Amino acid sequence: MSAVVSPIREPLITGGKSYHQITEDICSPTERTPTTAWVIAFILAVAGLAFYVFCVGWTIWQGIGSWNLNRTIGWGWDITNFVWWVGIGHAGTLISAILLLFRQKWRTGVNRAAEAMTIFAVICAGQFPLIHMGRLWLGFFIFPYPNTRGPLWVNFNSPLLWDVFAISTYFTVSLLFWYTGLVPDFATVRDRAKGLRKRMYNVLAFGWTGSAKHWQRWETLSKILAGLATPLVLSVHTIVSFDFATSVIPGWHTTIFPPYFVAGAIFSGFAMVQTLMLITRKVLNLEDYITIEHIDSMNKVILLTGTIVGVAYLTELFIAWYSGYIYEQFAFYNRVLGPYWWSYVGMMSCNVLSPQIFWWRSIRRNILITFLMSIFVNIGMWFERFVIIASTLARDYIPSSWSYYTPTWVEIGLFIGTLGLFSTCYLIFTRIAPVVAIAEIKSILKTGGDQYVGPNAHAHHASEQTTTH
Amino acid sequence: MERFVFDSKIKNVLFGFMGLGVLCLAITFFIDDELHTRFWTNFLHNSVFFTGIAFISLFILSAFITAWAGWYALIKRIWEAYSLFLIPGLVLMLIVVIGLWGGFHHLYHWADAEAVAEDSILLGKKGFLNKGWYTVGTLIIVGIWIFFATKLRQLSLREDENQGMNFAVHRQMRVWAAAFLPIAGFSSAAIIWQWVMSVDAHWYSTLFAWYTGASWFVSAMTLTIMTLILLKNLGYFAKVTPEHLRDLGKYTFAFSIFWTYLWFSQYMLIWYGNVGEETIYFRERLDNYPVLFFGNLVLNFVLPFFILIREDNIRKYGTMMFASAFVFIGHWIDFFLMIKPGALHTAHETLAHHGATAEAAEHAAEAGHHAASTFEIGFTVPGFLEFGTMLGFLALFLFVVFRNMAKAPLDAVNDPYYAESLQHHA
Amino acid sequence: MENSNKEVLFGLYDDEEILLKAVSQAKADHLNIMDVFSPFPVHGLDPILGLSHSRLPTAGFIYGAIGALTGFLFMTWVFTADWPIIFGGKPYFSAPAFIPITFELTVLFASVGMVFTFFIICGMGPGAVNPILDLRITDDKFCIAFDASHASDEEVSKYKSFFSATGASEVNTKTI
Repeated sequence: MSAVVSPIREPLITGGKSYHQITEDICSPTERTPTTAWVIAFILAVAGLAFYVFCVGWTIWQGIGSWNLNRTIGWGWDITNFVWWVGIGHAGTLISAILLLFRQKWRTGVNRAAEAMTIFAVICAGQFPLIHMGRLWLGFFIFPYPNTRGPLWVNFNSPLLWDVFAISTYFTVSLLFWYTGLVPDFATVRDRAKGLRKRMYNVLAFGWTGSAKHWQRWETLSKILAGLATPLVLSVHTIVSFDFATSVIPGWHTTIFPPYFVAGAIFSGFAMVQTLMLITRKVLNLEDYITIEHIDSMNKVILLTGTIVGVAYLTELFIAWYSGYIYEQFAFYNRVLGPYWWSYVGMMSCNVLSPQIFWWRSIRRNILITFLMSIFVNIGMWFERFVIIASTLARDYIPSSWSYYTPTWVEIGLFIGTLGLFSTCYLIFTRIAPVVAIAEIKSILKTGGDQYVGPNAHAHHASEQTTTH
Repeated sequence: MERFVFDSKIKNVLFGFMGLGVLCLAITFFIDDELHTRFWTNFLHNSVFFTGIAFISLFILSAFITAWAGWYALIKRIWEAYSLFLIPGLVLMLIVVIGLWGGFHHLYHWADAEAVAEDSILLGKKGFLNKGWYTVGTLIIVGIWIFFATKLRQLSLREDENQGMNFAVHRQMRVWAAAFLPIAGFSSAAIIWQWVMSVDAHWYSTLFAWYTGASWFVSAMTLTIMTLILLKNLGYFAKVTPEHLRDLGKYTFAFSIFWTYLWFSQYMLIWYGNVGEETIYFRERLDNYPVLFFGNLVLNFVLPFFILIREDNIRKYGTMMFASAFVFIGHWIDFFLMIKPGALHTAHETLAHHGATAEAAEHAAEAGHHAASTFEIGFTVPGFLEFGTMLGFLALFLFVVFRNMAKAPLDAVNDPYYAESLQHHA
Repeated sequence: MENSNKEVLFGLYDDEEILLKAVSQAKADHLNIMDVFSPFPVHGLDPILGLSHSRLPTAGFIYGAIGALTGFLFMTWVFTADWPIIFGGKPYFSAPAFIPITFELTVLFASVGMVFTFFIICGMGPGAVNPILDLRITDDKFCIAFDASHASDEEVSKYKSFFSATGASEVNTKTI
């Protein structure tokens, strides 16, 4: 292709791949019988899922009383987990949508898996508000339809209802976006498959042929969906932050919450992408497509968003003092030095301080440290939500209502259970769909393959680049 | 290599507008109230606005270098020149500082020792809102920005000499650019609190700094589009194509929406929370500035949204010039709305305190109570003098920019992404 | 593409750069290309092939506008006419609180509408079967196809010489 690529850019696909080799490498994991590692992982995941189902059953049978929510603490691990999972989902949309608009080509290596992660994370997130209702069978009450119960409609003025709309829209749009991208790749798998598999992928591939007009529409559609998903992803975590910020509770009612929640969401989401990608690339032999360069770039995003949330934390602290509002000042004093000081320390050290090691290139490119850091960040972001929810609710306006909250085994079980639910979905995904977007990788081969760009490119390509000056 | 020639014709035009600006400032000064509120608010408004554009240009450059963006290499000299306006920007802000120490203006309620003494809220903020911090903050923060602006500029010019494939200079630029990003994040928030948010000394909003930053960002983008089209008409930047314009337009579009998002978040949360200390900010503006308040949204959201959403529009020079001019004015009005109401309120309060007779004091206090409930040109809407002053500042900005642009080739041919930028096609 | 017993003559190319040159050549020779197939979107193909811009964005805009109006007007109707209730001291018509849901419905309508439109106009859907000329088109082959159902021998030989001149690695016919 005639596109000029700056010689300073690193290749994004290594191993001198041909188009056919790309098809071969990415499709083969779905065509082999599962490896032992996969089977063991799947058994563990399903065990987690089973435990989840058990805990949900327990909660419904015994009632919400089986959780330690009490008096002023109406939200505990449940909403913490909800916000945490929604946040994790955001990186998928960020990678596929915002990075597409910013023309960051490295996104093609990880977008498919990240989008899948988004969908599974949103599924996990959606569980918590529903379970939290206690009477799960009345969950349909949240939908606006003509009915005969008291106030005829749901409260459209409530941020909790905005959440219903935001999460369901987000799930639907992410699913459509992801599936539209998958259709050409399912066609690739279909055209290699035989027998029953062929029949299955025939259904999944929607009759894709690869016609030029279809590709043109497909690209237009992808761009517009990316354009729509970008404000959507902002709106979703914004609305989640509204759940807190529209209240008049000190420590919750603060205007920086919307963009700060979004930055935190992207931060934790990227960490989860790192965790998954580091394992996936190793297990499925995709090191040529998810290269150290990709890991480096994602670590840069983690550093950037970690620093943004750092700015937000300090802004909150400063403005709490600056406001001159004693309840606000107390809320933040309590957050840092109150009974939950340990979670504040966990949040600060995992989210703001530790990512600063990514200023060093050698650390950004170290797989072991990256993996540990990605776990750290996810712990830190869980703490952030816990800090906001528990430390604030435990100290009400009236000191006589002050209390301290610790979760029961059911609440902990629900959280661990959703990890099982998430892993089960992800493991099934790696067996059915190509985990790297085949068509998109092929379309950047000429500008990202190491035989075309970078230090080991063919001699004639290198000379072409220098003479373009 | 193509160089920009800052010829006398352009200079004369700019001198003409600068003269207009000085004239407008002078007229404002003489027809003003005894505190010269209108004069000083105009001065602060434009100084903050244009210094901010210079800062954001440096931020944009740093962000693009860090993100390995390629398309902008052809036009990066514009942003380099923009960022060097930080030096005169510091001088402008130092004039505000001098006015603070000399008691020449009453822009900030917290600078009035008597008012602070009997106001428990302002007393609580005294550790941050005081003349010393204002001075030190301005000097140190803008000083650091100037340091990074000149550093990146130097490296960029050194790159012009440095041919070949080792890109040592560019790798150095990456380090400086990346280091600037967190510094910019923290320092811009601090300086916006001091310069702008403290005009409404009692009010606070955690989102305010990011909101103001987004406003600067869109202003800088639209001004870039206008400058680029102007220079193209003069025969420069022949290699810049509608594809580059499209990218600038895309950023204007995206950040207009982002600005609206921040605007809505701030407004909605304060509206929803309904806490008197917070809602007063919007109550004041809705009651006394309704046209500007909603006009702000029309100019900065509705207009760019519907014009720039069309792919064909953002490749057209004429349409983009038109849209950019309106959005630029829109964000200038946004800053007008941030500064004027608070400063006017302070002026009324101050007049009430220093009133000669008890009757006058009572009268002024009454006026302060219903601050700006009457229509006042220059405060409730920008008058001709405000627009004249703005044109003067704009001419000064462009004068400094063009002088710096003339000092170096317009094409950074040794930028590693230069060839990519030449070929840029969306 | 209905099943119309069309006879298709197609050539397979190994690289998109050869394909682009071939398509330009075909246009220069005034050959009537039926369709071009590729394993990924080939940049620069649409203008050569003379494809007009897709109007999906316009459709999306209309769907979005419908979504926005639906959301905003419905909430307005519910809270001002059908069952007015004061929530949190807010007025019946509290526009700022309607914005989030209005926005979500805009995005939902636009996205769902566009995706469905896309699949319908492309003749695709779950289990849809469209004729596939060669299984390797979704792998690494780039294909130019001519409709040879009513082509004279002369035309067919013109197509074939075009394929050999432009470097097609294989030439086949298939009835679809």
